[in-house]
Formats: sequence, structure tokens, C-alpha cells
Amino acid sequence: MLNTDATTLSPIALFLQADWVVKTVMIGLLAASVWTWAVILGFFFRLGATRRKTAAFERDFWKAEDIDAFHRLHNESDLPIARVFTAGVAEWRRSTVGGQVDRGGTRERLATAMGAAVANEIDQLSDRLNILATVGSVAPFVGLFGTVWGIMRSFTGIAQAQNTSLAVVAPGIAEALFATAIGLFAAIPAVIAYNRFSHGINRIEARLNRFADGFHATLSRQLESEVRR
Amino acid sequence: MTRSERYGLGAAVLGHVALFALLSLAWSSAPTPPPMNKPIEVSLVDDVALDQTAPAAPEPPAQSAAPDPGPPAEAPPPEAEEVAPEPAPPKPAPVVPKPAPPKPAPKPAPKPEPKPDAVPPPKPAPKPKPAPKKPAAEKSEAADKPAVKPAPAKAAPAKAAPAKSAASTKAVATAKATGTNPKATKAKPTGSLLDDDFRKGLTQSPSKAKASEAAPGATMDAKAAADIGSAIRRQVQPCADRQVNPGPGASRIVVTIRLSLNRDGSLAGRPTVSDDHGGVDDENRRYVDTVDRNAIATFAGCAPLRGLPPELYDVPRGWKTFILRYKLPG
Repeated sequence: MLNTDATTLSPIALFLQADWVVKTVMIGLLAASVWTWAVILGFFFRLGATRRKTAAFERDFWKAEDIDAFHRLHNESDLPIARVFTAGVAEWRRSTVGGQVDRGGTRERLATAMGAAVANEIDQLSDRLNILATVGSVAPFVGLFGTVWGIMRSFTGIAQAQNTSLAVVAPGIAEALFATAIGLFAAIPAVIAYNRFSHGINRIEARLNRFADGFHATLSRQLESEVRR
Repeated sequence: MTRSERYGLGAAVLGHVALFALLSLAWSSAPTPPPMNKPIEVSLVDDVALDQTAPAAPEPPAQSAAPDPGPPAEAPPPEAEEVAPEPAPPKPAPVVPKPAPPKPAPKPAPKPEPKPDAVPPPKPAPKPKPAPKKPAAEKSEAADKPAVKPAPAKAAPAKAAPAKSAASTKAVATAKATGTNPKATKAKPTGSLLDDDFRKGLTQSPSKAKASEAAPGATMDAKAAADIGSAIRRQVQPCADRQVNPGPGASRIVVTIRLSLNRDGSLAGRPTVSDDHGGVDDENRRYVDTVDRNAIATFAGCAPLRGLPPELYDVPRGWKTFILRYKLPG
């Protein structure tokens, strides 16, 4: 049923007629495309959920009367903002466990602990982003390599056939160009997604930092009132 | 790998498979249609074959060669001038240049004239008479032969001949006139460097050639077939130029095509192509079918063929069925 004639643009026919080098390039680029889209879809779901839950968490946090009760509620959450919050609470508890409290030292430790938690969370969030960047920048070149190889092979075909007719080279060039097509097919979504998701992660990072600063200010006030007492 | 990434991977694989299946099916189910060969207008051409084989062509060189030596030779003798005006008006004047008549003049030309009128019956008369009644060219050409033979011997039949066909009789007349020349000129010394035998050979050759060529009206000889073939080729040239060359080497393929024609030049049936092709090699073997189709399209496209000689239609090997060899242009 599938038409494997040279005159069709069927991807399968183009693939089957290609040289093994070009085939390898095509398979690699196809795998890169699949992986890119897997990452894109994963990011899409994860970033969307994270943004939604973060907004809800922040709203609930500023409304909460009792921080300890709120902490118990969100102790086991794997939400980045909840982890930052947990890190701040844990550092607070460790610093105020004794009778004497070093207020300046406690503030610094709180800031450092929550900053480290933010950096850790952002690290984990942007883990796969480098894949998008790599595919987006390299896939066109890999496809171009396949094309150049395929065209070189077509010219060898001209030399063997002793004939410069377009009919001799056209199929080979079509196969070769298919490699570049797949490369662009993988690279374009990767570049778009990379820009979009790095922007989304930057926003989440900014949000986490703002929350950490606000929580730090709250704890500092608490520190002063508690020590004065 | 987190749960969302697993879902993403599954969705990506599914999406790629679906996309490529769609592309493969979409492109394979709608193959590109072959280019259509549209019929085009036929341009009329001049009549061929018979007109081209008309006997007029071979004569002029012989006529111009004969007169040349004449004038200088005849200039000195005064007698020729007296008699010259007489023979000139009767016949050769319109065709043969002026200088020529003077020579035949002395005796033979004036004499023949009375003879044919008075005594045509002896030999040539009975044959020529049936001929003019039949309009067919075949008969007239058959009649020409007897007329030509007596010519050298006697000048008489030349006068009877003019009634039939102008072209052939002119040649006969000149042949006769020049053929008799030697006798007239032999008596007088001439200043010409060319001797009489030279002139004789020149003047007799055209009449011989004509006798052999005078047959095209009746049978399909090689020349008529070649003329018809070239006429057909010329008419289908516009259609042939339209054919798309399918690939390298395709123009080396020679197709033998058989046309069945009606009397009016239209096709009686679709042209057929014989299986044996010329010029086929490994490179262009795959184009043979395409060239076959191109050949049929060429002859079918410029179908009504004009100007083919009607008298050669139904004769043996006539153009009722005509076999041609066809090649793609280029």
C-alpha cells in the first residue's frame, strides 16, 4: 500500500532509500525530536501545576494565623515553595532551641538556608531544560550533516552514471534534504520551548525569592519580639 | 524520571508516530498525475510528394548547357539568321532561351511541322490518342514512353505530344531539337571549342532521367514514401515538440509506429507501436513505455494530415497504412 517510488514525498520511502549515514542521522534526530517533545510536555504539565499550587500556597500562608500549624499541614509537600518554607522553619527551630539567641546570626542563617532551598528547587525544576537547549542548537547542524553527506553521495551517483540529468540526482537530494527537514522539525519546537520554559522558571524563581524574603522578614520580627520577652 | 515526564514521553511518541503515518498515507494515496498531452492546432502545409517529383526539376541544367556553345558558333554563318525566325514561334521559344533555336532552324525544325499534321498515324498517333481522353496521370505517363522513343529518330511525335502534358513534352521537344542539332551543325565549321558529342551527351541525359522518373503517379516508390514520411513528420512536428522528454537518453529510442489513415488524412484508428525498438540501452530502457505513449500522442494529437497525395492512398504500399520511425526531438 505504501508507495516507495522515488517520486513521492512519503517520509518512510525517503528514509528507506537513504544511505546508512543519513539513516543514522535521521534516526538520531527523530529520537531527539521524541525526547524533546517528552520534555516539553513534562515541563508544560509540571510548570503549570507548580505555578497554580504556588499561588494557592502563598495565599494560604499569608492568611494563616499559626505558622506551626501551617507547617504541620505542609510538612510533606514536594512543592518548591513548601520546601523553602520548611527549610526556613527548620532553621528557625534549630537557632532558637537554646536560651541565648544570636539575633544577627540567626537572621543570616535563615536567609542562607532559604536561599539555598530556592536554588535547590530551581536546580531541580530546570534539570531537563538543557536538553531543549542542546537539541535546539545542534539538531539543525546534525541534519545539515546528513544533507551534505547525502548530496555528496548523489554527486558520486552522477559521476558513476556519466549523466548530469536532474533525474539522476533528484531522488538522492530529496532524501538528503529530508535529514535537514527532520533536524529543523526537532530544533524549532525545542528552541521555542526552551525560551518559554526558562522564562517560566525565572518567574517561579523570582516568586520563591520574594516568598523567602517575606518569610525572612516575618521570622525576623518574630525573633525580636520573642527575645524582648 | 517523574510521572509528568513519563506521560510527556508517551504522548510525544504517539504524536510522532501519528504524524509520520499521516504524512506517509497522505502522500502515497495521492500520487502526482502524469502530465497531460493536449492536442494542438494543425498547421497546413503545401502539397508534397507528386509536386516534388515533377519532372520540371532535372531539365533546366541541360537546356542551359546546350545553348551556350551555340551562339558563337552560329554567329558567322548568315544562313542561320534567315531561317531562325521561323522555328522560333512554333514551340521552343517560351522555354528555351533565344540563342538555341537558330541551330535547329536550318532544316529539321521546319520540316517536322508539316509531317505530324499531315501524317500522324504511322506510329505515335494511335497511342497518344487514347491517352488524352483518360484524365488519369498513370495512363499519360505510360503514353509518354512511346512518345519519347520516337523523338530522337523522328521529330514528328514531339508535335503530337504537346496536347497531353506541357511539362513532359517540353522536355521531349528540347531533346529532339538538340538531338537533331548535330546534323545541322556538322556541315558548317563552328568556332566552339566543345565538340558535338559533348553537347549530345548533355542534352540526352535529362530525357533519359525523366523516363525513369516519370512513374511516381502510379506506384509507391521509395522516393514517394520518403516524401510522404517527411510530410507527415513535418505536420506532426508541433505535437512532437510538445512531448516531455522523460529522462536522459530517451531521445535515442526509435519507435516504429504504424498509422492507419483515412483518405482525408484523419486517423482510421489509434496508431500502434511495434515491440522492437531501436537505440534502447540500459540507461533509457525504463523510458520505452513513455516514449511509446509520446509517439502515439504525437501522431494522434496532430491527427488530420493534409496534403498527402490522394493517388497514392490505395495503391500497394500506399499510405492507407503507413509505417514511420519516430524519435523524441532533442
